[in-house]
This record gives sequence, C-alpha cells and structure tokens, in this order.
Amino acid sequence: MTANGGPVEVAVVGGGLVGAALAYGLARRGRSILLLDEGDVALRASRGNFGLVWVQGKGRGLPAYALWSQRSARLWAELAAQLREDTAIDVGHSQRGGALIAMSEEELAGFGEMLAEISEAVGPENYEHELLDHDGLAKLIPGLGPDVPGGSFTPYDGHVNPLRLLRALHAGFQTAGGDYRPRARLAHIEAVEGGFELRSQAGTFEAGKLVIAAGLATPDLARQVAVEAPIHPVHGQLLITERAAPRLAIPTNIVRQTDEGGFQIGYSNDELGYVTGTRLGVLRDIAHNAVRALPYLAGLRILRTWGALRIMTPDGFPIYARSTEHPGAFVFACHSGVTLAAVHAMICPGWIDGDGIPEEQACFSPERFDVQTTA
Amino acid sequence: MAAAIDLGIIGAGPAGLSAALTAAELGLEVHLFDDGPSPGGRIFKALEAAPADRRWYPGDDHARGADLLNRFRASDVRYHPETTVWSVSRERELGLAAGGRAWLLPARAVILAGGAMERPWPFPGWTLPGVMTAGAAQVLLKTDGMVADGPALFAGAGPLLYLIAAQYLAAGATIAALLDLAPAGNARAALGRLPGALRAPHYLRQGLALRRRLRRAGVPLIRRVTDLEARGGGQVETVSYRAAGRRTEVAARHLFVHMGLLPNSNLAASLDLPHDWDQGRLCWRPRLDGWGASELPWLAIAGDGYDIAGAVAAERRGELAGLWAAEGLGRIDVAERDRRAAPIHRRLNRELAVRPFLDRLFRPPLEDLAKLDDAITVCRCEMVSAGDLRGALALGCGEVNQLKALTRAGMGRCQGRQCAGTVAQLIAAETGRPVADVGGYRMRGPIKPIPLASLAALETGDD
Repeated sequence: MTANGGPVEVAVVGGGLVGAALAYGLARRGRSILLLDEGDVALRASRGNFGLVWVQGKGRGLPAYALWSQRSARLWAELAAQLREDTAIDVGHSQRGGALIAMSEEELAGFGEMLAEISEAVGPENYEHELLDHDGLAKLIPGLGPDVPGGSFTPYDGHVNPLRLLRALHAGFQTAGGDYRPRARLAHIEAVEGGFELRSQAGTFEAGKLVIAAGLATPDLARQVAVEAPIHPVHGQLLITERAAPRLAIPTNIVRQTDEGGFQIGYSNDELGYVTGTRLGVLRDIAHNAVRALPYLAGLRILRTWGALRIMTPDGFPIYARSTEHPGAFVFACHSGVTLAAVHAMICPGWIDGDGIPEEQACFSPERFDVQTTA
Repeated sequence: MAAAIDLGIIGAGPAGLSAALTAAELGLEVHLFDDGPSPGGRIFKALEAAPADRRWYPGDDHARGADLLNRFRASDVRYHPETTVWSVSRERELGLAAGGRAWLLPARAVILAGGAMERPWPFPGWTLPGVMTAGAAQVLLKTDGMVADGPALFAGAGPLLYLIAAQYLAAGATIAALLDLAPAGNARAALGRLPGALRAPHYLRQGLALRRRLRRAGVPLIRRVTDLEARGGGQVETVSYRAAGRRTEVAARHLFVHMGLLPNSNLAASLDLPHDWDQGRLCWRPRLDGWGASELPWLAIAGDGYDIAGAVAAERRGELAGLWAAEGLGRIDVAERDRRAAPIHRRLNRELAVRPFLDRLFRPPLEDLAKLDDAITVCRCEMVSAGDLRGALALGCGEVNQLKALTRAGMGRCQGRQCAGTVAQLIAAETGRPVADVGGYRMRGPIKPIPLASLAALETGDD
C-alpha cells in the first residue's frame, strides 16, 4: 500500500523543472502520477535558472542535441498556451530570437566557427543564423556598448519567467489530478512484483513505473535501478537589478530583461563542487561584463545576487536512460530545464507511457560514457 | 589585499557607539560604519543638530544621548557616515559602498549593531498613503520637526506607541485617538511578571506618566481594539475599528501603526548564523552568548539586534561586545575583561528586569496575520497578496523559500523584511506546523541595494 492508499501508475522523483514537466505531461495523459519532492533543503537548480529558451550554440559535437533543442524551442509556444489554458498562469514566454554578445574579436570569431559547424552538421536549412558586426548587433540591441565588437543572432531563441514556469507546471500537474508530496526525500528504491516500492521521508509508496529526475540527487537514486548517471554540479551566479522600463527586446547570453522589468545578469560557470552562495569576485566580473555590454545598466541598483548549483553531464548533453535491468525505471538529467521543458512535457511522457526511448534519442543514453572510457 | 582593520562596527546607535568607545579606549583600531549622516541611531537621531527647542521630547533622555555623542566625538574611533554595509562575508570582509564607490575591507573582528525594526503589520488598508509606522513618523519629527497636518490616529501594541504619541503631542500635533491593539487578556497574563519588573521601576513610572500626559491632553485611549481598517480612495479618509463590542469609524488623514520591535537581522541571517524562535517575544533571535558573540569567533551582535531591550540596555550590550573584541584581539586578558564586565552585567540585568512584563503586556495578536483576507497585500515590494500565497500553498508547497520562488514574496528590495513574519504565519496556519519549524527566507546579498556600476568596479584588494 502507499501513503495514499494504492499504487500509482508512475512515480516521478524530483519536483524541479525537469521532474515537474515530465509529471505534468504524464498526468495530462490521464495516468495516475505521484510526484515526490524534497523540502527547502534541496539544492534546487530550478531556482538558479537564467530562463532562456535557447538553441544558439547548442549541439556542437552532437547534432541530435541541436535538433532536440530546436524541436523543444518550436513546441514552446504551444506549451505556454497549454499552461495558460490549464492553470491561468502566464509564464512570460517570448521567443523573437536571441543574441550572443561577443566581448572580444576572438570571441566573435569563435561564435562564427561554432555556428558554422553546427549549421553544417544539422543542415543550413535547419539553422538560420547571422554573424553581426558592432553596427549590425546595435540595430538589434540599441544602447550596445561602444567596444563590443559584435555578436550573433538566431531567430529560434527566447526566454520565459522560470519561476512562474515552475509554478505553472506544478499547478498544471495538480489540475490534471497529480498527487504532489513535498518533504518526501526518497531514501530507498526496491524493485517489486509489478513495479517499485519507494521508501521516502513521507512514507512508503508503490508505483508501476518510476522516473528519476532528481537533479543532483539523481546518481545515487539511478544506481538503485542499475543506471549510471555521471552528473556533477556547476556553480552558477546570477544577479538581478531593480525594475526599469522595457529597453532590451531580446535575450542575450549576458543579460536579459525579465517580463517584470528587472535585468537578470549572469551567469558564471564555476566547477566548484558543492558550494552554494555567491563569491564577490565572480559577481564583480559578471557586473563588469554587463556594464560593458550595455552601459545604460550602470546606474541600476542590484537587488539580489544568488548562486545555484546546476547540473552538468560530462559532455554537457542530456542523459535520458531506461534501465535494462528494471525496464520500468527511467532516468532524466539535463542542464537546460527551461529550453527542454516543452519536449519533457509533450514528447517524453509518451516514451514513458509507451515503448521506451526512441532509437533517434538513444544517443542520450549514459552508455555513451562507457564507450568513451573503454575506447 | 588591504590591511585588515581591528574592529568594524556596523550601526552608530547606542550599542554601536558604546562598543566603539569601549574598544577604542582599550587600544583597538575601530571603524564605525553607518548609513545615516550623523551618529545616534533612531533614538538620538539628529540630536547634535536639533535646535534647543526640540530637545524636550519626553522619554528620550537627551542628556544621556548628548554625553554619549560628546564622548564619541572626542574619541579615536574612525567614523564613516553615509556608508552602506551591503555585505559581510564569512571571510571576514565588509562590503562597503559610499559616494558611488564600492570596496571590500577585511576586519579582524566585527560587531553588528543594526538595531531594531518595527514589526510589519498588514491589515486592510495598510498600503494606503497616509498609513505609516509610528517609527517613521518619529523619524520625520526628529529630523525635520515635521508633524502630520490634521488629526492623526495612533494604533498598535507596544511601549513605543505611547512614547511616540506623547512626543507627537509635545510637538504640537493633534491626536484623534490612540487605539491599543494589545489583546484582552494580556494585562492579566502580564500581572505575574510585575514583581520582577519592579526591579526597574523607572520604566513603569515612565509608562504611567506617558499615559497621564496623553489623557490630560484629551487623547482618547481606547483599549482592546480589534479589526483595524484604514479606508479611503487615494489617501486614508477614515479609520474603522472594533472596541467594546461595536464598530466605530472615525475621520483621519493619518494613521501611525506600531506593533513592537524586532531585531534587524538581515546581516546576521545573510551569514547563515543560527537563529532561534523566541516564543516570548514572538521573533527570531540570533544564537549568541552573553557577550553577544556568535558561532563565528570573530563576529558579535550588540543592542536591539541581539535582543529588544531599549537604548540603555543597548549601551550596556555595546560595552560588553567592546570588551569581547578587546579580549579576543589580545588587548586585555580574560580576567581583566571579566573584571570590567561585572558592573556592566549588573546594570544590564536591572534594565532587562522589566522586559518579560512589557513583552507579555504588549504581546501582539500574531495569529491574526494568518486570517488576513485574500485581497490584502503581504509583500509590498512585489505586490503579492495573501490570496496569491494561499494559492501557492494549496499546491502543496509548504516551505518558505519554495513559496518565495513560486510567488516572488520576499524577492524585492527589502529582502523580505516586510513580509517574512506574515508569510511564516500563513504557512504555519496552512500546514499546522509551528512557526519555529517554518523558518525564514534565505538572504540574497547585497543586503542593501548598490548600483551595478559600483559592483562592476568593486575594489577587492586582490587585483
């Protein structure tokens, strides 16, 4: 028996952006879903998200990831509309393209090479992009700093309000009949007849299938269903200014103006291990970069800075796995919980419900890391 | 890296000034930082500049304040007015900002003397122009001699409510009424603590004198008031309340509310120092030893930031923290510290004797916060209503920081100071957990906003 009185069809472990998107999509398919979450002690990468729906530059070295990100980006407007319909929450979705701002000629050249390479790999017809000099970029971003050499643009990119997205996914999940359990850290997974027994802080539950999307807690849980998910934390720091009149129309790699008016600036990527909080030297560099890119930000006051541990895989691409030993168990881990929210809510639930992960997404299996170590 | 100073003190009120004087007399290099343009804190605000005719406000003991400020001006303490401390790091660095510039300064020891803040108290109409805290009204009075035009209403629970009303009266203003929101039953419950309070009879005498003064001036003192509400279009027009079983509505353009004081603990909270819920005072307090020292061996807290006990106790706590710093940095030994501390402790204990009685007598009806109407704004920075918060709580989110993420309550420029208490009450009511378990917001620096350009040009000393 479960704490709720009976077994559920699927238990999703992890109430962050990835787990909540999967749970929301599964619940919409009419399944009985249990979503187990931690309490305030969780590391919560979802709260440190920059909010980008981003394609530009993703998938270098793995064209399937470029296409997967694009597929999600294309589905995003539909997800936003569906969430509004289900929950009346506007997630602040805006997708009118995005720019990478280069802070040096060298960086600009690097962007050019990167985009050309990805375009080549996925087919130029699938990868509209422009490399821009200072004047070209300044047309897209009025007020651009005078010593910014240029940047690049793709029409696929956009941004959302990541915290409202998290709230909408949770609300949508519950509207669709899902059962949410906070303060239910999962301690032990036992494979039993017809599924899994889950021993958590909030009691024991039974589920036919199991989806582990528990952020940095994933490796330990995945191992219990015989999946190796080698992820590690990356410390990202962000800061946000007071609100200002709308001025920056498109998001960039350095700064975006939120739908509430504040400028969100970030993020750093420090591989520090499990350190939360902020470091002033890094924040100074982030602020310095932002003021160089957009000098009009200089006088705005910073309201908050924060650090969050985000998830990284050895090659930066997602891990999607179905356990060979326990075929009812799935593992999802990725860095880009916002960009991929649309596929996680609209495509992946079908895999969990159906025949497993399709062949064209098999490249996201963690077995790719075994191959690398034995090669 | 810039050379470390001996002792950095944050806050130039009675606690900070006393700590600075004590430590400097014992040979420490002391730097005192304060947001304001002149020393004195809330109680002795602008005292040095105040014209003689403004020095007769009852209750402030200006002679004592003038003496403290004179000693401070004659001391070696390096005073940094109009300097914002926006960060204190676990690496013992103070993040400072002044004149559009920001820099880091390492310190060997730090004393936080940030004083108190008024307990935020949402009620219907609390965001209307014309409603402000009684403390804010007092600041206007002390700095500019400003009083409200037209009759003002005072409402709340706490000894300061009576004091500020009396000061207002003395400044020539008209007070329509004083509404005491302390719940029925407080007086009876406080009675058992009266014998202890008699060890500090001057406070009791002062309290009675303030009431007499207000009554003699014809100010109606209305007790056991509930259901306070400010009404009006763009400004307060009337104030409605319930007392003695019936609702009354009176015309007023100004409503000054005071529901007691809380330790101003954002800097302490930003360092993740452990805090304990004080059920007697209904507030979080940093976990400190008798000197005010925290679990970080280089950090102490003095004054109302340690524990709300008034200006005289704050001076004593400042002196104890100053001795702690001098001993910690090797200027005096433990025996000398204890010898000097003994009379200070005795005087402090006499001051503290009255607190249990006052705390109980003026205990606010905290549980009312959980019953706020859905339409009432709780987080004023981000405009989050009680209904928004309950909506997110209904999703099963019973954690204060997750609730912050889902609603934005506490994400604005006050860093959650204004809404944390109400949010905790709402969560406690919804989840059936005690407030002590609910906890508080995680602080996200800067503790006070600084311009992006200042951070971009931050002088860290190591480059």
